[in-house]
Amino acid sequence: MTTKEVAERLELKGLTPVFDKPVTGVYISDMVSDVIANAKAGNVLITLQVHNNVIAAANLVDIAAIVLTRGRTPAPEASALAEKAEISVFSTPMDSWQVATKLYEAGIR
Amino acid sequence: MDGARPGHRYRMVNIRSGYVIVEHEVHSRAMRSYFSPEGVPPIEEYREGPQIWKFTGQAQTVHFDLMDSETGVVTRFDDLMGLVSYTACRQDGDIYRLGELAQEQRIWLYVAVTHRPSDGPPRAEWIEKLRVLNRYFNERLQTPNKKILILPDYFGLHAEFNHGQIMADFELTAMEVEA
Repeated sequence: MTTKEVAERLELKGLTPVFDKPVTGVYISDMVSDVIANAKAGNVLITLQVHNNVIAAANLVDIAAIVLTRGRTPAPEASALAEKAEISVFSTPMDSWQVATKLYEAGIR
Repeated sequence: MDGARPGHRYRMVNIRSGYVIVEHEVHSRAMRSYFSPEGVPPIEEYREGPQIWKFTGQAQTVHFDLMDSETGVVTRFDDLMGLVSYTACRQDGDIYRLGELAQEQRIWLYVAVTHRPSDGPPRAEWIEKLRVLNRYFNERLQTPNKKILILPDYFGLHAEFNHGQIMADFELTAMEVEA
């Protein structure tokens, strides 16, 4: 599955252009140091956190896409950084558990 | 946990949660930080000879070491407080300018900030550790032509750091924008 397919399947709202990349798994965290230590390249990161540092951490570990839950939207500079890093950022009114459930149902492990 | 695959030379080990504790010396106003693995962050003031150190701030964080799977050697990163992306730095500063220059080659620049930097240039031992850290992150990248370059703190970021710049979890709700 790719980031584009994930966005379509979960009806996510794109906050950046969609950079279509293979999805290798999912990681859920609101801590940047935890993302650096535990997320894997190609993961979809599910988070409430919209700080620039989350984008910088996601870029460091080569996250494929970020899904901001409960309708969060980042500041314009964070979106611009994500776009520069070619990381798709999506927003959804769902909470993190609901997003994770839907990704699991879509076959992502 | 670390996404190690065949072909990955390095893997993350000894992952431990704790706190970055920032403190200042009452008389000189000098600042420093350290990692505490305790469940409750220590905030008591204490004496160290004539100096009195007071708690300034804290952030949850995760520390780790890296193991070379070819040799079994573990490189410890106790000194690493956090990483700063060049994009978090002042746009009229050297780090940002270097970062933008590196971007033309799809290289993303980060600066490794240590808890207790020594006076003068970074020690050779620390440079060697950063070589390992760079290898770890770069061997995991999947985006074609992308590179990560983590530099030692030649820029004195530790002395003038703004907690929000550092990729530890300081004040991360400050820029939150509700939909």
